[in-house]
Amino acid sequence: MDPIILGIAVVNGILLGGLYGAVALGLSLIFGVMRVINFAHGTFLMIGLFIPFWTWQLFGLNPYVAVVIAAPALFLLGYAIQSVIIAPLFERERAMVLEPLSVLLLTAGIGLILDNLALMAFGPSVRGVQMPFASKTLWIGEMLNINYARLMAFLVSIAIAVGLTLFLSRSDLGRSIRSTAQNRDAAALCGINVRQVYNITFGLGCAILGVIGCFMVPFYYVSPTVGLSFGIRSFITVVLGGIGSIPGSILGGLILGVVESVAGQFVTATSASIFSFVIFILVLLFRPTGLMGMKV
Amino acid sequence: MMKRVFLIAIILGLLAVPFGMAQAGEKVDEIRIGVVVPLSGIGATVGAQMKTGATIAADEINNQGGIKALGGAKLKLVIGDTQAKPDVAASEAERLIQRDNVQVIIGSYQSAVTIVATEVAERYKTPWVVLASVADRITGRGFKYIFRPCNLAVYDAKEQLEAIKALSQETGKAPKTIGLFVEGTEWGKSHAQNVRTLLKNYGYDLVFDEAYTPGQADFSAQILKIRSKKPDLLIVAMFTPDHILFNKQYMENKLDLPFGLHSVGSGAEDPAFYAATPPKAVEYMFVQEDFQIDITDVQPWTQGVSKKAKEVLGYDLNAYVAQGYSNVYIIVDALERAASADKEKLREALAKTNITSGPALITGYNKIAFDATGQNVDSHGAISQNLNGKRTTVWPASNRPQGLKYVWPIPAWKDR
Repeated sequence: MDPIILGIAVVNGILLGGLYGAVALGLSLIFGVMRVINFAHGTFLMIGLFIPFWTWQLFGLNPYVAVVIAAPALFLLGYAIQSVIIAPLFERERAMVLEPLSVLLLTAGIGLILDNLALMAFGPSVRGVQMPFASKTLWIGEMLNINYARLMAFLVSIAIAVGLTLFLSRSDLGRSIRSTAQNRDAAALCGINVRQVYNITFGLGCAILGVIGCFMVPFYYVSPTVGLSFGIRSFITVVLGGIGSIPGSILGGLILGVVESVAGQFVTATSASIFSFVIFILVLLFRPTGLMGMKV
Repeated sequence: MMKRVFLIAIILGLLAVPFGMAQAGEKVDEIRIGVVVPLSGIGATVGAQMKTGATIAADEINNQGGIKALGGAKLKLVIGDTQAKPDVAASEAERLIQRDNVQVIIGSYQSAVTIVATEVAERYKTPWVVLASVADRITGRGFKYIFRPCNLAVYDAKEQLEAIKALSQETGKAPKTIGLFVEGTEWGKSHAQNVRTLLKNYGYDLVFDEAYTPGQADFSAQILKIRSKKPDLLIVAMFTPDHILFNKQYMENKLDLPFGLHSVGSGAEDPAFYAATPPKAVEYMFVQEDFQIDITDVQPWTQGVSKKAKEVLGYDLNAYVAQGYSNVYIIVDALERAASADKEKLREALAKTNITSGPALITGYNKIAFDATGQNVDSHGAISQNLNGKRTTVWPASNRPQGLKYVWPIPAWKDR
């Protein structure tokens, strides 16, 4: 195998993998803090893609600028859904330890409703944003070319991961979130408003998707069902990297991206996914908490 | 005592209902046509187009007085959403047949879905007129109730290769190597298999041959592979979202294909694809479709249907609207001859279809007549090239606009 081609495949895999990792960040955060498996994760990504699409379509607004609209909008949506729809389920359980099944079903239901609302409102057409900038590529040598839009998405993914890590370790709110993740009851005893922390965490998880959506829209397509494939990949990434770990999420994403890309050079892409799943199973067998996960 | 009598009366009443419904009689109030298409999931835009075409046709028929042979019976479309999943389609078909008592069904775009749903129809002895699914197996199972007006997959492949041969002969410049890149389910694989089999007769070498999973996010790895194998020409079979991504990346990577990108349709027949892809990415692309894209220029009566479609969908007549429209007219033609709502008689009438004029030919065929396997022997498509943003028919030569200068081979990216 030509080393140049292999190198190019790795680079492409890294670019895509960083994106998978960032998409999975929200999922990892939400589960790490609240033990809620958010089945609607892909759906929120879909909303995060539609907002910049519509601001572009209706107002001609550059999707990168639309971040200031998409991120707060999704934060509010996530906050609202957590405080109004999911929180009552928490109230019902005494020690605020949830039966995994009920919340799973709840988030799955939320996802279904939002998916179909989007389908009803926007129609099934596949849409895309047309931005001349998005088609420009950076050529390195003769064969390697990196699409600027994908590069930006990758850089933003890393920036989000770094930003989130700093936020969680340095700020007061971040510390509250981390302590709630470690031990709910102890955190409550320390005077932390656990309910508020949950709301903010869910909102934050969704806001991340809003930012990523704005950076994905230039090179990806938009449709009511776009969240599905990313939703599934997010789960694999999160379990691979370790639930609740931010670097783990990015690492998991990178592994997934690179494996798919490199394997795709040797076997057909459909078979290449098998490698990702095999790694996934191996990790589950030998390190169930994931590569960098915290001990649950 | 009264309670028991009441209960028995109700039970007897309920038992009588199916009998009442079974006696259709020759004066029928309505004919129910099931429309089983994807309205969500991959291909939902196409499902909406098919449903629109069928609705326009049904409205026209009803406004003209319904089915004359059945005393003015009106057409009623009963919709089922396949969600692009075979198992869902099968249960939708079953629901339409058992609960809604449809006389006939049309559907379902994706071959993988149609193949499963038609099995249900065959089991319940309900006629099914296929929409757009080209996989050979659909009419190759010895089923009696399945009819397909549109192309068989092997026709699609043959037309693509014939067009390549014709353009090569006219210009004296021919490709030597071909690449195949198809979606990895029933349709794509069927097409790839047909191309492989037919290639022997044309003498081209196959240097790249791969399938991908629909819904892929990034084609860079495969484009890289294609570039290293250097085919002169690439044949693709993709659904809309993948086609959008692929064309964008094909342009960004400046992948040179001297004799062009040849799409066997689906994604490339969908107006949503052209709205979402930059014009440069679709320049010079050849598209094979079961439809003559410039038919509104050639057959002016179709402009009325196109206008109605535009009101509903926002874009003009395309292959899928035309097929939805045509299938309803084929069914109406059969109903008029059968003069009965009975499914068996309808099936027999469909088998004897011989349409040589009229609205059913909006798809551009010269004739609709089904052979013993249920395949329309006269279906054919056309190949268009995208020149200056307009898709123009280049094959068959007889359908080509006068004096058209097509581009063969196509210029390299650095020369555009």
